[in-house]
Amino acid sequence: MCGIIGYTGSRPAASVLIEGLRQLEYRGYDSFGIAVNGPKIGLLKRSGRIPEDCPEINGFLGTAGIGHTRWATHGIPSDQNAHPHLDCSGRIAVVHNGIIENYLSLKKELEQCGHRFQSETDTEVIPHLIEAHSGEGLLEAVRRATGQLRGSYAFLVIEEGGPGTIIAAKKSSPLVIGCGDGEMLAASDTTPILDYTERVIYLEDDDIASISPDGVEIFRNGCRVVRPVSLIEWSREDVKRGGFPHFMEKEIFEQPEVLANSIRVLTEVPAILREVKGLTLVACGSSFHAGLIFKYLLERGAGIPVRCELASEFKYHPSPARDTVIAVTQSGETADTNSALLVARSHNCPTLAITNVLGSSVTRIADTVIFMKAGPEISVAATKSFIAQCGVLARLADLLSGGKYRTALVKANVAISDALRAEFGEAVDLCSGARSLFYIGRGAFYPVALEGALKMKEISYIHAEGFAAGEIKHGPFALLSEDTPVIAVCPPGETYEVMNSNLKEIKARGTPVIVLGRRSDREISGISDIFIPMPEGDIITDIMASTVILQLLAYRTAVRLGREIDRPKNLAKCVTVE
Amino acid sequence: MKAVILAGGEGRRVRPLTGSRPKSLIPVANRPIISYPIEALEKNGIREIIVIVGYRKEQVIRYLNTLDIQPEVIVQEKQLGTADALRCAASLIDGDFLVLPGDNFIDAHSIGKIRGVRNAMLVREHPNPSNFGVVVVHEGQVKQIVEKPERAPSFTVSTGIFSLTDAFFDLPPENDLTDMVASMLDRGIGIRAIEADDWQDAVYPWDLLSMNARLIRQLSSLRAGSVSRNAVIDGPVRIGEGTMVGPGTVIIGPVVIGPDSQIGPHAVIGPGTSIGARTEVAPFTVIENSILMDDVRIGSHSRIRDTIIGTGSALGNHTVVQTISRVVDRDGELIRAEFGAIIGDEVTSAPFSGFGASIIGNSAVIQGANRDLRGLEITDQALVV
Repeated sequence: MCGIIGYTGSRPAASVLIEGLRQLEYRGYDSFGIAVNGPKIGLLKRSGRIPEDCPEINGFLGTAGIGHTRWATHGIPSDQNAHPHLDCSGRIAVVHNGIIENYLSLKKELEQCGHRFQSETDTEVIPHLIEAHSGEGLLEAVRRATGQLRGSYAFLVIEEGGPGTIIAAKKSSPLVIGCGDGEMLAASDTTPILDYTERVIYLEDDDIASISPDGVEIFRNGCRVVRPVSLIEWSREDVKRGGFPHFMEKEIFEQPEVLANSIRVLTEVPAILREVKGLTLVACGSSFHAGLIFKYLLERGAGIPVRCELASEFKYHPSPARDTVIAVTQSGETADTNSALLVARSHNCPTLAITNVLGSSVTRIADTVIFMKAGPEISVAATKSFIAQCGVLARLADLLSGGKYRTALVKANVAISDALRAEFGEAVDLCSGARSLFYIGRGAFYPVALEGALKMKEISYIHAEGFAAGEIKHGPFALLSEDTPVIAVCPPGETYEVMNSNLKEIKARGTPVIVLGRRSDREISGISDIFIPMPEGDIITDIMASTVILQLLAYRTAVRLGREIDRPKNLAKCVTVE
Repeated sequence: MKAVILAGGEGRRVRPLTGSRPKSLIPVANRPIISYPIEALEKNGIREIIVIVGYRKEQVIRYLNTLDIQPEVIVQEKQLGTADALRCAASLIDGDFLVLPGDNFIDAHSIGKIRGVRNAMLVREHPNPSNFGVVVVHEGQVKQIVEKPERAPSFTVSTGIFSLTDAFFDLPPENDLTDMVASMLDRGIGIRAIEADDWQDAVYPWDLLSMNARLIRQLSSLRAGSVSRNAVIDGPVRIGEGTMVGPGTVIIGPVVIGPDSQIGPHAVIGPGTSIGARTEVAPFTVIENSILMDDVRIGSHSRIRDTIIGTGSALGNHTVVQTISRVVDRDGELIRAEFGAIIGDEVTSAPFSGFGASIIGNSAVIQGANRDLRGLEITDQALVV
């Protein structure tokens, strides 16, 4: 996905845009660009990260402009493929987030009419289409152009010599307008808007807006519409790193509060889930792992069957009859998850979404929405959003099972605080020298292992895989050696005995084992090569504590290896392509 | 003018309360101690603040991020001493500056007195000088400084608050500020002694109780939570957002209660009590002159006084705390102290437990009912059966 931003007001737009793009960088960071209005459009765009200093913008004096930070989908990261894109005359500049699915046929038509293209991107058709429809003003040209576009888009347009008006259009990709004092902003999310105002308007699909320093006019199907102004709940400090070296570390240490808040979100079973007989949960990545933990807790606690499906696979299998379908997505924009929910809707399943972002696309698809209230997560790797999802889902399991996990949940945030104090320098040493890492667990700790492996591979770039401990003997055992440490989660309970013997078998192959277990457990700490103690508690505290310890293990290993933590290579914060 | 706040150390003498937080973050009147020197600096218009962190630095950084002024944070990798901590900031300082400990209370007026003076320290009379750096003052100048002497030459102690010039960093390095000051005196560098108005350092955990009782008096009333119509609230009482005060509860101020807590019904909270967030006080329980941190649960029919309870602790019902005076052994030193209980984080105790001048370590578990823990000191993670 990408990030777009627009500003019109009284300040010099260039520095506002560059700063705003820095805030949006977590959405995509292989190229960037801005276009500022004036007698001629001031254009700066190139591949690479946004530098500390941008002296070229000193010449851009306009007070309106648009900007873009890119995560490439069509066309490699390069100066020509970077946005903003211009039309043939160089008078119209466009930044775009989304994918124009019919761009190839549009491009052929436009080229046949004489338009010249400079890049390989799908976006470039937009300014040329607007140019082709020009004649009755920019707003009308944009309206006609959108009639020909198929796909997803949130784009901003400025015109040379114009009075500082930005035209915005939205369909499927997010676009938020910030209403300041004598200045207006538009952006892919509220993060860069926070520095200027807390008042925002979320655009709906098919909206076209005309934004000027005094305000915004929104149109849909040619008619003027009014959209409500909301207040951003997040604070300025939520988007700043403060004294932490990385956003990821800041977000890891916010988890005790985030968990306490997420557990308090639900006070009763949502109406859509009363009397529910079966559930299907669709999600991607870490959210899918949270779903697996929910499956375990709900099936044990209330006997309600839960089917967990990878969102990208959901549409290739028959739909789950009358099950309520729960979608879990931090950003609310994950393409696979949203389309899975749409498939569910089309089969008349009741739908519920659990998300972190107000006004996101999934909130328009689901019948009911639960917000996890984790605050903005800037680091690409999910940490606090995962814990918040686990908190909301654990609480849901607790409510549906008549309070089975009530007392455990109350203590969970304290257990996380305790776990965050863990010191395990030796484990970091071992992991940072490893060729591969295998994470194993049973029951609810199998998804904990999956998540631990995902964090490690995302930010340290070491090959890491999670397995159900029972599966490791059916093949993966062949991969074990001294360079492939195994990380195991072994709290007490029904999985303890058999995990104990699994570990002995693994050690018999000469493989070093790092074990997470309860502090007081002498036996397991005796057979581990490295033992990481967890606080006393119960299954809920074990799940939470082991999760955060594995997050910290991945983080510290990545720091040791000097990795780029908040912006790992090849990854974007939210995946808006299928 | 810049100020350096030293918040890297643990504050060992206040154990077990420093298990998960440095002393500078211990809540007194529901504010971390470090917030007081920061406030004193802000009131004097000093906004360029550098904070040296070390022990549990993530917690300190998280707190600092919530402030309007954004201090510069520097990490002291190994906690070698106060002067070593100060030297971590050397590259950021030129000119005159103040240095303050992050774990003491100081009032704004005292900062105002010292800020204009070069090479000065704030001093105060103290009845037990041997716990501090003792100074001998003659005609407003410091003549001698000795750290924690057995036989103190005077009753005047250093507050640890200095006004220095960047020439300090050219002197031969010692680990502790007291040694650096002694070295400055040896070189004939004059140091003025200025009397501080209100300075408080809690040396031992029970000292935090008197500090809490004094600082809580400065607070004004606030009702952000929901208070039952049948509850009685008298005096200055602050109630946080989302907190529910049940019917029949009596709260006599000065008291401060954090957000999302549940008090009562029919609980009694007496003056000098600070209660944190997400804390539950069950019905028919009396709490007086105590500090309860976040996520604490006190069972019903309990009597808590002159007690500090750490985060996440849960005391069973019918807990009784008596205020007892006894001699406590702290790292070989014998100190007479009078208090109810100092209870660490995540401690669980069974119903009918009795405390009196008890010190219970972090994560300790007290099993089985009717335990008499008066006069006992329990280590961290102990299991009492």
